[in-house]
Amino acid sequence: MTLSVENRAEKVATFRFIHVFLMETLARWVPMTPEMEVKVILGRHIWDLAQQADALGKRTYELRAPLQFSLRPLDRYARFLEEFARTTATSEKIHGFYEVMLPALAVRYRAYLDQTDRLLDEPTVRIVERILGDFTRMESESQRLLDELPELRPVDQTWLAGLRKLEAAETDIVASRPATAVA
Amino acid sequence: MVALKPEETKQVKGMTLRRDPLREDCFSVVNSDAELKEWPDMSDISRRQRLHRHMNNETGAIEIAAQCLVDFPEAPWELRMHLARQCWDESRHVASLYRRLREIGGRKGEFPISNFEWTVTCALDSLAARLALQNRTFEAGELDLLGQLPPKWREVGDDATAEVLESILADEITHVRFANQWLRRMIQEDRRVLLKIAMAARFLSAVSAAVAPKEGEMSPSGLPFVKGEEKLAPVNIEDRKHAEFSDAEIDQFLRQSGFESIMTTGAEG
Repeated sequence: MTLSVENRAEKVATFRFIHVFLMETLARWVPMTPEMEVKVILGRHIWDLAQQADALGKRTYELRAPLQFSLRPLDRYARFLEEFARTTATSEKIHGFYEVMLPALAVRYRAYLDQTDRLLDEPTVRIVERILGDFTRMESESQRLLDELPELRPVDQTWLAGLRKLEAAETDIVASRPATAVA
Repeated sequence: MVALKPEETKQVKGMTLRRDPLREDCFSVVNSDAELKEWPDMSDISRRQRLHRHMNNETGAIEIAAQCLVDFPEAPWELRMHLARQCWDESRHVASLYRRLREIGGRKGEFPISNFEWTVTCALDSLAARLALQNRTFEAGELDLLGQLPPKWREVGDDATAEVLESILADEITHVRFANQWLRRMIQEDRRVLLKIAMAARFLSAVSAAVAPKEGEMSPSGLPFVKGEEKLAPVNIEDRKHAEFSDAEIDQFLRQSGFESIMTTGAEG
């Protein structure tokens, strides 16, 4: 069974919420991170995340939801995001964001592509494919950053594995849409 | 936005400012531009210092735009998109200035830095006030400065830096323009925004006066300070027009800069 228009709107709005949240997370980290080169990559990717959120938000309107509609994920996942945003060590910010959060989000996008009707929902498919392409570029930029600042390479692997596990534990993250959806 | 907590602020000469953003240990951070080492010529050390200072100012610009995204989540999405785009632009500016700094033999932390614009702008509690200060005042001032700097760098044979500055100028015009457009819109919707902007301007004047060097004081480079009015770059009329300042506003800048006599012809040109 494929996704209904309503299912698609809810999933796209949830993805939009996550992109806005991550954009704000990187923005919060910029002044709170000492390394200049890290501020630069975060600044670059704030704009990527904003553009991705914008494309998703335009798509929600085409799916009979408000323009730029965001849907907060289920509580446990939302709390996980909030906890991640509180990361303080620069190496954990970089490894956590580029090696856990983006790949995990890519897995969720691929699952969406598997579930949806690629013809009926082609506008969303195109947006998701572009986002996946962006993620590949963003991840390779983070590798270049680590080449430039090798002191950021070491990271607490236990922490990283824990983050990965927590993210993967939340298989279903889409909450039901409230009766009156607000953008 | 919630009010700043005491630990997010610092006191400088009786003024409450936002505490500095984090910097690497290699940087020595001072409280005002008057404490920076500057050289009036275009010697090797002066060129490195100019690029180093500019690089930190652009770093501050990423931080200010990013902090606005954090502090004002309720701002209209289109405006947040402009701020996010500004983060990218300023990031590219930092990277290009750093690349150039290294090419001419400089390094991060070679000179003291000041985060003056951040400490003043991010002490303000409304987005309108921050746009008025950071984009419409500091960045608009940069339009004037960047309008005259590239020829100076070319005179000493540094075309590469001149090209970097010209590219930065083009981006800064868009940052000033979106601030002008949004401030107009905000004022139309709520006249009280004007009061916020006026208070921001007054705050900037008070802080600038508090940190200004005293009469007869020497700069950290051992040279006399250049007076504020002598330091002002000529008003970059063409780019201020691109940034959607009105003719009346440009006239006012010309008056403040002592260009009253050429005001009418210049503003029309």
